[in-house]
Amino acid sequence: MKVFRPNLGFPRKVVSYYLLFCIIPVAWLTVGVLVTTHTVLNSQTIGSCLSKLDKLSAAIELEYLHSGTKNLQPLLMRAKSESRLDFCAIVSNDGLYCSHTKTKFLGQAPPEREGSHLQWGGLKGIRYRDSNGAQVSEYRLPLIVNDQPIGTLHIGVVEPELWRTLAEVAPLAPVAIFVPLVLIGLGGFVLSRMTSPLGEISNQLQHIAALAPEDPEVITKIPVRDALSLGWNRLATLLEHQKANPENQALESKLLEATAARRANQDREILESIPDGIAMTDAEGRITFANRAVAALLGDDATEGVAIQQLLAEMDNNAKHLTDSPSENHANVCEIHRKGNLTERVIRVSRQGMQSTQRPGQIWCLRDVTQQKLSDKMRDQFIDTATHELRTPLSNIKAYAETLVTGDAIDVEQQKEFCNIINSEVTRLARFVDDLLSISSMEMGSLSIDRQKVDTARLFSEVFEKVEPLMQQKQIAFIKELPEKLTEIKLDKDKIVAVLVNLLGNAAKYTPAGGHVTLRVKLDQRSLEVAVVDTGVGIAAEELPKVFDKFFRSADERVQEEVGTGLGLSLAQEIVEMHGGEISVESVLNQGSTFLVTIPLEGAT
Amino acid sequence: MKLRALIVDDNIALARVTQFALDRAGFETQVAKNGQVALELAQEFQFDVVVTDQQMPVMSGTELCRALRELPDYVDCPLLLLTAKGLELELPKLREELGINAVFCKPFSPAAIVNEIKELLGVCV
Repeated sequence: MKVFRPNLGFPRKVVSYYLLFCIIPVAWLTVGVLVTTHTVLNSQTIGSCLSKLDKLSAAIELEYLHSGTKNLQPLLMRAKSESRLDFCAIVSNDGLYCSHTKTKFLGQAPPEREGSHLQWGGLKGIRYRDSNGAQVSEYRLPLIVNDQPIGTLHIGVVEPELWRTLAEVAPLAPVAIFVPLVLIGLGGFVLSRMTSPLGEISNQLQHIAALAPEDPEVITKIPVRDALSLGWNRLATLLEHQKANPENQALESKLLEATAARRANQDREILESIPDGIAMTDAEGRITFANRAVAALLGDDATEGVAIQQLLAEMDNNAKHLTDSPSENHANVCEIHRKGNLTERVIRVSRQGMQSTQRPGQIWCLRDVTQQKLSDKMRDQFIDTATHELRTPLSNIKAYAETLVTGDAIDVEQQKEFCNIINSEVTRLARFVDDLLSISSMEMGSLSIDRQKVDTARLFSEVFEKVEPLMQQKQIAFIKELPEKLTEIKLDKDKIVAVLVNLLGNAAKYTPAGGHVTLRVKLDQRSLEVAVVDTGVGIAAEELPKVFDKFFRSADERVQEEVGTGLGLSLAQEIVEMHGGEISVESVLNQGSTFLVTIPLEGAT
Repeated sequence: MKLRALIVDDNIALARVTQFALDRAGFETQVAKNGQVALELAQEFQFDVVVTDQQMPVMSGTELCRALRELPDYVDCPLLLLTAKGLELELPKLREELGINAVFCKPFSPAAIVNEIKELLGVCV
């Protein structure tokens, strides 16, 4: 069964309860008062009547003694009129009414009455309803004169009706009922006003309670009446701020997203810009990310989705052990050789399991170590060469010096020859040490040039002095094409001499006996141009770009046969460039090489 | 009859001073500028001792020694190796594999070579 509950507001509910619990007692009280008043009135009526009964019986007895029964009727009539009696009668000893206020009953026997018996002091009576329907209490008192009963006095009192009582108390009703009711109403009004903010708050809260979780809560301000409404309005203001904030919050979250995206982009850009190849693979070894360098190192095939291990294994069998070994978390490193069109590149591949993420996978780092390998090789070669370059003159010096010291009977010519050899070996050693120092300075960036006015003729004669013996030794035709007029120019003479000696020395070294070496010099106001042309072994096309690299030595057997440090041309280039000039080479294998040095003189003179 | 020595070195000056020392010790000497030339000479003439530089164009000292040991006439011939390299050469291996009798590191003393050769050949000159 559904109980009907009107959906009242909170304050109405409170007021309703208030009224209910106030009006019920008031009504109860009213009814109580009415009943009490009625009862009291009833008793009062009966009491006042009965109180006159003694007086009346005495008067009757006196009258009886005086004049017998004939004057009793007026006495009764008078007594009835004096009090509110319904009737008053005397029943004589013969059992008939001898006197009655209601004259129609005279001479009649009193009727048999049925009803409840009454006892009021010594009086006995009966309570009954008469023929008019009124409630009548009839009391009977024996009349005794001179100890002789003369009859019985009957008096009847009509009990007042309730409506009469109501009529009696009606004038009191406005004060007794309406004032409390008005006061209760006033209380209800005050209560209603006091609780009205609660009503609005309760309404709004109920509304919010009914909202879906994702709907925004809305509370509105209420008229200010008390501290409660003030507090509520404060809350509303706060929420309004927060309502304004949702935009801020949305903005903030967008900002966060943007920042995260930018960071991701930045990270990606950083990864992309790293010269080393960085690739990530999933559990199956397929590439999920590869930066630009990966494609540069492994070729365009190395894109997302490709199995990297397979790709590596195709390039070099070395990579197979990476493929075969199970995926574990420690790094694996191997070097693979990738054959290109011209050159072979060495790529160091290192692999590491991803530990930070949930997804199993691997991070691959690819580094082009071709240059490193090359420079390692060059360094080894240099150490080899340097050892040879140092030990050979040293052993010659030691052998000749020892021979000179210990050997007897060596003729003067031979002694002289041995001393010359020692001398030239010392020079060779000194030159090598010079080269080493120059390279060392060059490495440290402390190589400097000191431009001084130089007599060009003297410069060249110094060069010739050093290279002509080499040419003669190998019977090479040394052709000098010098300008007629050799002017004074401004440059670092010692270093330029070193450059030219190096170029001519190389020409002599790598030109077979009987070949030609030509020195072609052009000199004008603007520049000094020196070309060294030989008919030597030449330089292979693929090696041409590397001839000025430090420690580079050609793989050509004919070059390997000769000793050399691989430093000369690198040093020459450095010196020429420090003069603001340039050095270049043209060569055809087996036909010869041409080294061209151009040094600008403008501004220097 | 003089003992014959073959000196193999691309460094002419060094070959010359070694030759000078051996000449003075009473050897008949010949100089070859590389291993290839030396091998040809060795097949032409019978040498009692061969002194060779290690680092040479065309054919290195160890290659020459390997080739000589394959010739029946040079199975027992004393071989001396001169090298500019130091400890990086595996000397015991060279001795064992190629039967190189002595290795001299540059700079060496010519007198020491002469003494070593004399000892190897068991001669007193």
